[in-house]
Amino acid sequence: MKFDRRQLLLGAGAAAGLMLPRPTAFAQSPSGIGTFPDGVSADSVFVGLTIPLTGVFSGDGGDLKLGYELAIAQINAGGDVAQKWGLKGKGILGRQIRHKVSDTEGKPNLDVQSATQFIQRDKAIMLSGSVSSASAIALEELGSREKVLYMVGIAGSNDVTGKNCQRYGFRSQQNAYMAAKALAPVVAKALGKNIKTAFLVPDYTYGHTVYDSFAKFSKEQGWQQVGKEVVPLGTTDYSSALLNIANSGADVFVNIAFGADAVASTKQAEQFGVLKRMKLVVPNLSSFQDKELGAEIMQGVYGSCDFWWGLQDRNALAKTFVETFVAQNKYYPRWGAHVGYLQSYLWAMSVERAGTFNPVEVIKTMEGSKAQPYDTTIGKVYFRAEDHQMVRSIPILRGKAPSAMKNPEDFYDIVDLVDGESVMNPPDLFGCKLGPYS
Amino acid sequence: MKVVPVGRARSYLPEFAVLVTLVAAPIALPYLGFSTDLLTRVLNWGLIGLGFDILFGLTGLLSFGQAAFYGVGGFVTAYLLVSGALNSVWLALAAGTAAAGFAGLVVGWLAVRRIGIYFTMITLAFGQMAYFMENSPLSDYTGGENGIPGVPVPVLGFGEHAIRISAGLPMYTLFAVIFFAGYVLARRIVGSPVGAVLLAIKENTGRVAMLGHNVPAYKLTAFVIAALYAGLAGGLLGSFQSYMPPDAFALETSGQLVVQTIVGGAGTLVGPLVGAAVWMWLRDNLQLVPGLATLWKLVLGLAFIVLVIGLRRGICGEIAHWWSERRNYAALRAAEAATQAIEATGERIVKPSVRRARDVMLPLPSPAIGASDIALDVRALARHYGGLKAVDGVSFKVMRGSIHAVIGPNGAGKSTLFKMLLDEISPSSGDVLLFGAKVTGSGVSHAAQFGIAKSNQLNQLFPNLSVRQNLRIAALGRRRGPLRLDLLRPADSLPEVEEQVGSVLALLDLVGRADTPAHILAYGEKRRLEIGMALATSPNVLLLDEPLAGMSPAERAATCALIRDIARACTIVIVEHDLDAIFELAERITVLYEGRLLADGSPEEIRRNQRVQDAYLGGLHAHESA
Amino acid sequence: MPSWPALLSQAFNGLALGALLALVSSGLTIILGTLGVLNFAHGALFAVGAYAVFVILQYTQSFVLALVIGCGFMLLLGFLLERIIIRLFYNRPHEDQILVTYGVGIVLVECIRAAFGGNAQRVPTPSWGQGATQLGFLIYPTYRLQLIAIIAMLLLSLYLVLYRTSMGLVVRAGIENPGMVGILGINLRRTFLLVFAIGVVAVGLAGMLYAPVVAVTPDMGANFMAQSFVVIVLGGLGSFPGAVIGGLIAGEIISLTSAFNSSYSEVMLYALMALLLVLRPQGLFGSEGRV
Repeated sequence: MKFDRRQLLLGAGAAAGLMLPRPTAFAQSPSGIGTFPDGVSADSVFVGLTIPLTGVFSGDGGDLKLGYELAIAQINAGGDVAQKWGLKGKGILGRQIRHKVSDTEGKPNLDVQSATQFIQRDKAIMLSGSVSSASAIALEELGSREKVLYMVGIAGSNDVTGKNCQRYGFRSQQNAYMAAKALAPVVAKALGKNIKTAFLVPDYTYGHTVYDSFAKFSKEQGWQQVGKEVVPLGTTDYSSALLNIANSGADVFVNIAFGADAVASTKQAEQFGVLKRMKLVVPNLSSFQDKELGAEIMQGVYGSCDFWWGLQDRNALAKTFVETFVAQNKYYPRWGAHVGYLQSYLWAMSVERAGTFNPVEVIKTMEGSKAQPYDTTIGKVYFRAEDHQMVRSIPILRGKAPSAMKNPEDFYDIVDLVDGESVMNPPDLFGCKLGPYS
Repeated sequence: MKVVPVGRARSYLPEFAVLVTLVAAPIALPYLGFSTDLLTRVLNWGLIGLGFDILFGLTGLLSFGQAAFYGVGGFVTAYLLVSGALNSVWLALAAGTAAAGFAGLVVGWLAVRRIGIYFTMITLAFGQMAYFMENSPLSDYTGGENGIPGVPVPVLGFGEHAIRISAGLPMYTLFAVIFFAGYVLARRIVGSPVGAVLLAIKENTGRVAMLGHNVPAYKLTAFVIAALYAGLAGGLLGSFQSYMPPDAFALETSGQLVVQTIVGGAGTLVGPLVGAAVWMWLRDNLQLVPGLATLWKLVLGLAFIVLVIGLRRGICGEIAHWWSERRNYAALRAAEAATQAIEATGERIVKPSVRRARDVMLPLPSPAIGASDIALDVRALARHYGGLKAVDGVSFKVMRGSIHAVIGPNGAGKSTLFKMLLDEISPSSGDVLLFGAKVTGSGVSHAAQFGIAKSNQLNQLFPNLSVRQNLRIAALGRRRGPLRLDLLRPADSLPEVEEQVGSVLALLDLVGRADTPAHILAYGEKRRLEIGMALATSPNVLLLDEPLAGMSPAERAATCALIRDIARACTIVIVEHDLDAIFELAERITVLYEGRLLADGSPEEIRRNQRVQDAYLGGLHAHESA
Repeated sequence: MPSWPALLSQAFNGLALGALLALVSSGLTIILGTLGVLNFAHGALFAVGAYAVFVILQYTQSFVLALVIGCGFMLLLGFLLERIIIRLFYNRPHEDQILVTYGVGIVLVECIRAAFGGNAQRVPTPSWGQGATQLGFLIYPTYRLQLIAIIAMLLLSLYLVLYRTSMGLVVRAGIENPGMVGILGINLRRTFLLVFAIGVVAVGLAGMLYAPVVAVTPDMGANFMAQSFVVIVLGGLGSFPGAVIGGLIAGEIISLTSAFNSSYSEVMLYALMALLLVLRPQGLFGSEGRV
C-alpha cells in the first residue's frame, strides 16, 4: 500500500516539477531526512505551530495564530488568493495542510517540548511560531537537530540570524540592525541632526541588541545620547527610570520596551510629562500598542515594524491579505498576523518551486531565492543565503493625530518604505555560521 | 500518614513496582496520549521530585526555591559543554550536580535556621535572586533570557564506536535508568538512620534536638540532597533537549514542583513523578480538546482546585494510606481495642507479679563523666522576662546517684528551672555544671550528648511512629553522635541500638505494643514511653518533669517502682506535685517559691519546715497578695 | 553618584510606590495573620480589581463611582471565595492552603483572559487627575500625588477599623491567638469571613487605583504579589503597621536603588528579604516568639 503511494507521490512530484521553472542543479540531497518523507502522505502534510496563547505574550500570540490560520485556509482552498501568490491547485503539491497550535505560555522550554511532540507524534514537515527571540533561537536549534524546517515567527533580535543562526531556520522579520538603520535617517530628517536622546532599555538580550543597533545608527546621524535607563524585564512601575529621563534634557525619548512593558512605560511617560517635552521613537513597535495606548499618545511617534495594514494601498497581495483578514476576524491585522501569513506562503511557494517537501531541497531553494525573488505583501523579497535573513522593505511609521484617523484602527501614516538591500548588515557581523544540511 | 515499615522483612515491593512501571510505560502509555518525549520529561520532574520529597515530604521543609538548584546544575553543565571546557557529558553532569550541591550547602546553611513559613520565604528569595543572576549579571555565561542552545547529548563509550543517545526511546531509557538508581538511593536514605531522624524532625522537631541530634545539620543534609537531585535533573534537561532554558530558574518552576508533589502525594517518593505525569498529561491533552484552545489553563486550574480539595494526601498518598490500612487493619484494630481496655479499667492488662527491684540494663554506655560526686551544680540560675523574674538566683547541688526532687506551688518557676538545666532555654544569668562540665550555652542537643535527658510534662512523642521507632530515634542520638551521615544502611541495622531499644521496651513493659503507632497508646503507656525515650539515651542525669501527672493510683505505684529501678543506674531529678510520692521517693528536696529557693534539704527537714507549709497553704507574710 | 535633585525625586517617588505596596500588602498580611492563609491569589485579585473598574467605566464617567461599585464587587467576590473554597482549608496544613489559593489565582487570571483577551485594556486617568504638578524642581504626575493621599486615607480607615472598633479588636486578638478567641465564644468564622473580604477589597482597590497607571493585562498582578511577599516579611507577618511601614520602605528601596542602577532595583528587595530572614525574621513589628 505504502509503496504504491510513494510511487504516486514521486509521479505527482515529477509532474509538478515539470511545470515549474527548472531549479538549478543541486548536489545530491538525501532521500530521507527528518520527517521526510514519512510526514508526507498522499493527501496531507502536518505543520506544527507553537504559539503563546496564555501568558504575557498572549496578545501577539493570538494575532500570529490568526495569520497562520488564514494563510493555511487560503492555501488549502486553492482559490484565487492562493493563485495570486503563484500557488497551483489546492494545498501544496496537491497536499492539504493539517495543523495544530500548542500553547507555549511564552516559555522557550515549552516551545521545545511542544515542537518535539509535533515532530515525534505528528511527523510535522514544518514548524513555525514563537513570539520571542529566545523561543525562536531554541526552535531553530531543535529544527536543525531534528532536520525539520522552522520558519521563524515573531523575533527581532540580531542573534536569530546572527550568532545563533541555523541551517534549518529562516526569518522574515527585519532584525534590530536593519530596523535601526532604516529608521534612523528618516527620523533624523524629520526631527533634525543635533538631537539629544534618552533611552529606556529592558534588561534582556533582545533589549540590549536593539539598543546597540539604534544607538550606533542614531550616533551616525549626529545624535548624542544623554541618558540610558536599563530596567528589569516585566517592570510595572517605570517612575524611577522616567524621572531620570525627564531630567536628562533629551529631545528624543527612544523606548525599546516591548509588549506590555511598552504600554506601561509609554503610558507613564505621558503622565510624567516626558512626551510633552520629547518626541517618542520606538525602533520596534509592538503589535497592539497603538490601540492599547490610544491615538492621543501615539500621534507623532516614529517607529518601524514588520507590516502595517496601510500598505494595502500600495500592494495588491497586501490588500487581499488585509481584506480577507478583516472579513474573517473583524479587526485589522497587525504585523504578528502578517509574519504568520507571509511565512506560511513563503514556505508554500518554496516547496512548489523545489517540487518536493524534502527539507534540504526546500532550504536550497530558499537560499537561492536571490536570483528569483518572491512577490509578496511587501513587494519583492528573498532570503539571504549566508544567514537566512530575509531581505525586504521596511515600513517606517508615524502616529496619526486622532482627527486624521479615517477609521478606529487607522493609527499610522506610512512615512517611508525603506529598501531592504541598503540596510542589510554584513552577513558575518553577528557571527553567523550555518550548520550542515544533514 | 502510614507507618513507615522498617525491619528485617523490609519489602522491596516498591522498587519492583517502580521498575515494572518504568519498563511498561513506553509500551502502554502512548495509547493514553503520552509520547516518549513527554514520558522522559515526566521522569525529569520525577528526579527533582525525589530529592524534593526527601526535603518536604519526609522532613517537612517546604521550599519554593528548588528552581535555583535545577538551574545551577543545568547551566553549569550546559556552559561547560558548549564552551568546550569539557567534552564528556557525564563529567559535565557530575560537575553541574556538584555545583548545585554546593549552592544548596550555602543557601541551606542560611535557610535551615528558620522554620515554617520563614524557611519557605528564604528559599523563595534565593530562588528569585538566582533567576535575576541568570538573566542579568551572568548573562554572558548563561545567555540571559535566551538560554544556552546546542548542548550535546550524552554519549556511551569512546571514540568511533561511541553511541549517541538519540531522542526517543534511547533517551527515555537513560532517564529511566537514572531515575531508578535515584529512586533506590532515595529509598535507602529514607530507610536509613538519617531518614529516621528526618522523619522524626517532621513529627516533633524539638524532641529530636532533646535526644541529642543536631537538628540544623540534619535539615541541611536533607536540603543538600534535594539540591543534588535537582542539579542532576537540570543538567539532564539541557542535554536531553539540547537546550537549557532560562525558565528553569523561574519561580513558576519551583511552584510547579510543589504543585506536582502535593497532587501526587508528598512523602511517597513517587508522588512527584505521578503528579508530573498527571499535570503534564492534562496540559497536553486539554489543548487538543476542540473549543478549549485558550481555555485549557482555566480547566486545568479548576481541576487542580478540585484535586486539592478532594485528595488530602495526594494520589499516591491516598493509595498508600488505603493499602496500609488494609494490610494493618487487624493489627490496628487490636491495638486500639487494647488501649480502650486499659483506659477503661485504669490498670495494665498484664498484672505484674510480686514487684521486685530490677536492674536497669542499658547496653549503650552513658557518656564518660568525671569522678565528682556532684552530678548537677546549679549556680545562681536566673531567668527574667522583662520585669518578671521567673527564676531568681537559684543555687543547689544534686548528688551523684541520688533522687533529687524539686517542688513548689504553681508559678514557682519549676518548669523554667528544669528547662534551663538542660539548656532548653538560656538563663539570664548563672549556669549549670554537669559533673563539672558546663552545660549552659551549649544547646539541648549537646546537653543530651553530655548525658542529660528529660522526660516532659506534656508528652513529646512521635505520634505516627511506632513505639519501637520512637525509642530507636532516642537511642540513635547517643550512639551516633550529633550528626552522622550514614545514608545507606537501614535504620535498624545497629545492633547496640536495637539491644538498647529492646531493653527499654522490656523495662517499660511495652514489649507487646512495640509496633503500635504511638498515638494509639493509652495515656499511661504514653507517659511510660515518654520516660523511656529519655532513658534510651543512656543519660547520666535523668530529669523527670511531672512523670506521675494524670496517672491512676496503680499506675503511680508502678511508675514509682520504675523510677527507683532507674535510680540505681543514673541520677534523677524530679519535679512533681504528688507530695506523697515525692516524700517516699526523694532523698533530697529543693523547694521553689516565686522563683526563689525557699528550702533545700532531706524530706524530713522539708516536711517540718514552717515556711514551706506556709507557702503551700497560701503565701508568706512578706509576700504581697497576688 | 547621582545628583541631589535626582536622589530627592527618587525618594519622593518611592513614597508613591510604597503607598501602593502598603495597600496591597496590608490585605495580604491581615489574611495571613488572622486566617493563617498565605494568599497566592492576591496578584490575581489585583488584576480583577483593575478589570472591574475597566468594565464599570464603560457605563459611567465617574471614576469615584466606579471605585465604589468596584469595591462592592470585590467584597462580594471575597465573600464567595471564602464561603466556597477557603473555609474548607482552615484545618488543613499550610501547603494545602497555599496550593488552593494558587489554583484560585490561576482560574481568576484565565477567566479574565478568556473574557478580555491578552492585550492591554485602556483605563484613562480620571479627569481630576490629569496632567502633572510642579513641585519645586520636580514635575510629578498629578494622579500619583492624589494616589498617595487616597491610599493614605484608605490605610487610615483600615487602621481605624482594626484598632478602634470591637470587630477590629476581635480580628487583632484572632491574629494573636485564634484558639483563645474561639474559646471566648466569639464567632470566629464570621470574623474570618470579614477579614478575608476586607483583604480582598484592599488589594482590589489597589488594582483599581493603579489601572490608569500601568498596562491592564491579565498577568499584571504577578509582580506586585511577589513584591508584597517581601513587604510582609519586612514588616512582620500578620502585622498591619508592619505592612504599611514595610511597604514604604520597600518602595524607597526600589526607587533609590534605581537612582544608581535600575536593573538591580528589584533584586535588592529579595536580597533584603533574605538578609532579614536570616538575621531578624520577625521583621519590624512581628513578635519574636513566632519564629
